[in-house]
Amino acid sequence: MNSEAAVSAMREPDRANTTAAQPQPMAASIRLERKHPLAIRWMHWVNFPVLFTMIWSGILIYWNDSDNAYRYPHRVYRIGLGKITVFRFFPDWFYKWLHVPYHVTMGLSYHFFFMWIFAINGVAWVLYTWLSGEWRLILPQRRSLRDAIQVTLVDLHLRKGLPSQTKYNGAQRIAYTSCALMGALMLLTGLAIYKPTQLHLLTSLFGGYEMARWIHFWTTMGLLGFFLVHIVQVVLAGWNNFRAMVSGYEVQRVEAASAEAERRSWQ
Amino acid sequence: MSDEWPEAHGEASQRVEETLPPQDEKPVAQSASSAGEDEAVQNNEAQPADPQEANDVLRHTLESERPAISEQTLADAAVLATSRRRTRRAFVGFGAAAAAAYSFRRYLKDAPFDQMIPGLLHKNYAWNADVSREILRDHALAPTYPRSKAKTLRVNGVFGLKKQLKPESYRLQIVGARDAERSPFYVRDVTAWQYEYEVGTSPEDQGHDTKTDPSKMSSTKMAPDGMQQKTEEDENRTGRKPRGLEEAGESHSTLLPGTPGLLLQLEDFLPRLQRHELVLQFKCIEGWSQIVQWAGVRFADFLEMFPPAPIDGKEPRYVYMETPDGDYYVGYDLDNLRHPQALLVTEMMGAPLTQFHGAPLRLYTPTKYGYKQIKRIGLVAYTNEKPDDYWTRLGYDWYAGL
Repeated sequence: MNSEAAVSAMREPDRANTTAAQPQPMAASIRLERKHPLAIRWMHWVNFPVLFTMIWSGILIYWNDSDNAYRYPHRVYRIGLGKITVFRFFPDWFYKWLHVPYHVTMGLSYHFFFMWIFAINGVAWVLYTWLSGEWRLILPQRRSLRDAIQVTLVDLHLRKGLPSQTKYNGAQRIAYTSCALMGALMLLTGLAIYKPTQLHLLTSLFGGYEMARWIHFWTTMGLLGFFLVHIVQVVLAGWNNFRAMVSGYEVQRVEAASAEAERRSWQ
Repeated sequence: MSDEWPEAHGEASQRVEETLPPQDEKPVAQSASSAGEDEAVQNNEAQPADPQEANDVLRHTLESERPAISEQTLADAAVLATSRRRTRRAFVGFGAAAAAAYSFRRYLKDAPFDQMIPGLLHKNYAWNADVSREILRDHALAPTYPRSKAKTLRVNGVFGLKKQLKPESYRLQIVGARDAERSPFYVRDVTAWQYEYEVGTSPEDQGHDTKTDPSKMSSTKMAPDGMQQKTEEDENRTGRKPRGLEEAGESHSTLLPGTPGLLLQLEDFLPRLQRHELVLQFKCIEGWSQIVQWAGVRFADFLEMFPPAPIDGKEPRYVYMETPDGDYYVGYDLDNLRHPQALLVTEMMGAPLTQFHGAPLRLYTPTKYGYKQIKRIGLVAYTNEKPDDYWTRLGYDWYAGL
């Protein structure tokens, strides 16, 4: 990015919502940074109830198989090695606590409805980030891994000094991109399980039906893991950051690097 | 994550006071002018005719609140005012979207159910089936496996099989076949055939089916409102009681007395059809799968031998099958049963079918889940009415295409 252009762009009044009759003052020490475009915000929030529904209905479906685990020793998922099992997904108390047993038809009917919304939302997100150029702010760069390690160490209070960033730091770039990849993997393994005869090439690509199920399950766990870290980080980051995911704008110091300026530099 | 400005307003003002000396009054007024207009728009008030008036008002209030005020403070305040306005607007939109999502959830829960699942989701199953029929067409062949990987299938659901059928009393009823009247197997009423059963129970393992709640294992508890009554009415209508004694009740598609058709013994058609062996992966909607070896004849060949009579000049769209006692019943797309791997099975793992695996004749097709693989077929009927289906009545997808 041309740094001179970026600096002068930063000084420009915010263009998104300002008419000529209402120029933003030049002398402010802060500015409103257009952080998240409207489309990104919609897609982000649509995912919240939809993924919740998909995972919840998934548990209802999965129960139906895990209930047989003790009579029929097929691949029901667990943490363990060889004959040692540390944890089995899921223990009886968990199912009973969440009233999971015998709701498999609800699970199936919700799963095969909300899958459409999840898929459409995901495809729309890929198209949007690709066509708008937003992918440049999200995809990891060469320096992202090093930055991510530094950011993590700073987050853990082991080191000081955050690397420079625009919209997202290296850790965020890696986390959000893997999240999108996990979403794609959910869709593809889901399809491989849903149509294992008609799409048997896809199913074979994942190592067969049982393996596709295994990947589907563990990718869900990966998404849940992302979600937990995400929530903690959002709480730690505070209101200004959270608000930006709703309103799109973040209050920034004028001297902070501007994602909007970078967006302009693509054109 | 990158929150570098959590309390922008406070910090900004503080810094202004520390570092900047108070400035002339004139720039303040200029700067306030824009902030003032902003404020007016935000409060949705009418725009003053003369901007100078607004400036005066604003300068007055701001000066009274904070006598020594800097241009930067005012500018920052203007930024924050814009932020507040945008935030308010965005959160109203956000709240509206959340409310819409919640209403949709309530709608799914409260709107009328169709065959034990929310009506919209039931429609969605039909939509998914149409998409699948259009795009995938059920043409692809399922992968086959070496015989060494195959194992005897686990028994999972014995509806319609609980009583031991006397082999000599077995007949296959075919309804809707072309030129049936001219066939030597034609009878005026296929429903008049009496199947006979052994006394006593089978030593075979009945398995453990987890699709239904054991505490609700009776049709009165399992059946949705009105279905029990409907079933009783149907039984009175058909006069064929007792049929459909399992959870789902009696099929709407079961035959009325006096339905003509063909009545066949296995020897009447099996020896004339080519035998096929296939090792395929069986998949249950519960989640498990198993590789099994099957042997029998292709359903496509059976359809050649007993082609359906056209209805309104066209081939009927569906096939309906049920067990001899009518307890279990399944509907199919006729097209789907032409799949070259759809078999009318007589042997599993190199041995004749046992009672709980559907002796003497069952279906296996790799394009459907296990609950569509009907065992002990008593009736094959060609029809244009979408046939009733045991597990669909209990909330499962009718199409169930793999």
